[in-house]
Amino acid sequence: MSSYLDILSVLLLLSSFVLMANKRIKSHIRTFRFQSAMIALAAGILGVNSLIHEGRVDLLVVCAVIIAIKVIYIPRLLHRVYANVEYKVEKDFFLNIPILILGCCMIVVFTYFALSKTDGINTGTENMRVVNSVSLILIGLFFMISRKKAIGQIVGFLVIENGIFVTAMFATQGMPFIVDMGMFVDLLSAVMILGIMVFKINEKFDSIDINKLKNLRG
Amino acid sequence: MMHAVYALIQIIVIILAAPLVNGIIRKVKALTQKRKGAPLLQMYFDLFKLLKKSVVVSDVASWIFRAAPYIAIASAVAASLFVPVTAWPESQGYAGDMILFVSVLALGRFFMMLAALDTASTFGGMGSSREAMISALIEPSLLVTLFTVGLIAKSTSIFQIMHFTAGVGIPLLHPVYILGFAALCMIIIAETSRIPVDDPSTHLELTMVHEAMILEYSGRDLALMELSASIRQLVFITLLVNIYVPHDQMIALYGLSGFAAIAVSLLVYLIEVILVSILIAVIEVHTVKLRLFSIPNLAALAFIVSFLGFIQYFVLGR
Repeated sequence: MSSYLDILSVLLLLSSFVLMANKRIKSHIRTFRFQSAMIALAAGILGVNSLIHEGRVDLLVVCAVIIAIKVIYIPRLLHRVYANVEYKVEKDFFLNIPILILGCCMIVVFTYFALSKTDGINTGTENMRVVNSVSLILIGLFFMISRKKAIGQIVGFLVIENGIFVTAMFATQGMPFIVDMGMFVDLLSAVMILGIMVFKINEKFDSIDINKLKNLRG
Repeated sequence: MMHAVYALIQIIVIILAAPLVNGIIRKVKALTQKRKGAPLLQMYFDLFKLLKKSVVVSDVASWIFRAAPYIAIASAVAASLFVPVTAWPESQGYAGDMILFVSVLALGRFFMMLAALDTASTFGGMGSSREAMISALIEPSLLVTLFTVGLIAKSTSIFQIMHFTAGVGIPLLHPVYILGFAALCMIIIAETSRIPVDDPSTHLELTMVHEAMILEYSGRDLALMELSASIRQLVFITLLVNIYVPHDQMIALYGLSGFAAIAVSLLVYLIEVILVSILIAVIEVHTVKLRLFSIPNLAALAFIVSFLGFIQYFVLGR
């Protein structure tokens, strides 16, 4: 079981790099969907494990909720938002792609050195999973600040959320049920509000470039 | 004596199987486009036809132009000796490490680029400048991938790595190996001039890289150039197969030895090569050719993925 979780944590990290290297919003959404499916799989593996050993079903419920919200609902919502805006290619990065990817790599190295000094999580592969998922949070943040368009920033926000969830899951083998559910409800409302905001920005400014928000309009 | 026999088997298998890989990739591509496609053995017919024809060489070409096909094929065959295709008794030893492997391949490519510049045709210069760019971008990630795998196996010999991997179990379930696998797939696509980087089936001047370099060749020389390109491709596929699905595993499983071991491992190897070529064809069907200036992005991704594997090795602490 633990080797499957190792592989999944590496694949999560890999998917965030692929996300960073992509230019098109459609492939951002596809990669996000893939990443969420990986998380659902990890939750499923942990859930089956806890069902067998402790008789708990809450992680399996969490897995089902992830599939419903992150794999099906949010990508579909983002696709709908994307269909309604003019800009199909996000070519406005603040840096070019190789430098962005190198930056991500620096983040992973930084996280490794930061966490290797931390007590309590330095036990073998546990440490590696936590390193990978903490770097997922930071890469999500980096993704968010490197994109100029609003949909890219929503995806960055979702990646941060994925990272937080995975860190909690790998570090604690399953958070209390109510905390997980609270996070999902938070996320869902945030994404819906952000989606509506993108509509409104697009309507008002004929573009979803957030730099234009600085302009005053009467 | 045994060494000579093994080397002979190695060379014969590599040279005979190399055009078949091209045939399989073309056939799969044709089938996905609902065409019948050329027969599987088409490349052998082409090579035989070209070998019978005489060579036309430009008046201004120097010895480099004439020597390059022979150097290219010699380097490709020499590189193929580093990646065992059959079971190799451990007592016999196996010389050569991966730095030499990469540099032998680079030698052939270097002469190919020189030969393309030699006749001073515009396409040749364009092709070799592009090839130089792509190879300079891709080679670091190849080396980093090989070093990472070598770090785990504690050896720089591809043969030793293969032997070590045979004991790992399923390498594709190991986090370091899987990153190396992803990097190596991207490297193979770039090194063998497959679709996201270069389109092997067209002679469109905007996009061609490898074809532009061998445009001046004809007859026997062209056959040698094409054969060496397909041997290079098979060498990379063999490298992937050796590291990730070592055919040694089977031998250890059934305790075979001698002739039976060679035969079984060869069979397993050929099946794996066919599967990998189908995988490459599927990747090629599902992607579009990248703009030349987007290739650095792919190369950066390949490098970072291999470097990530390198980091994970230390994070895992093994």
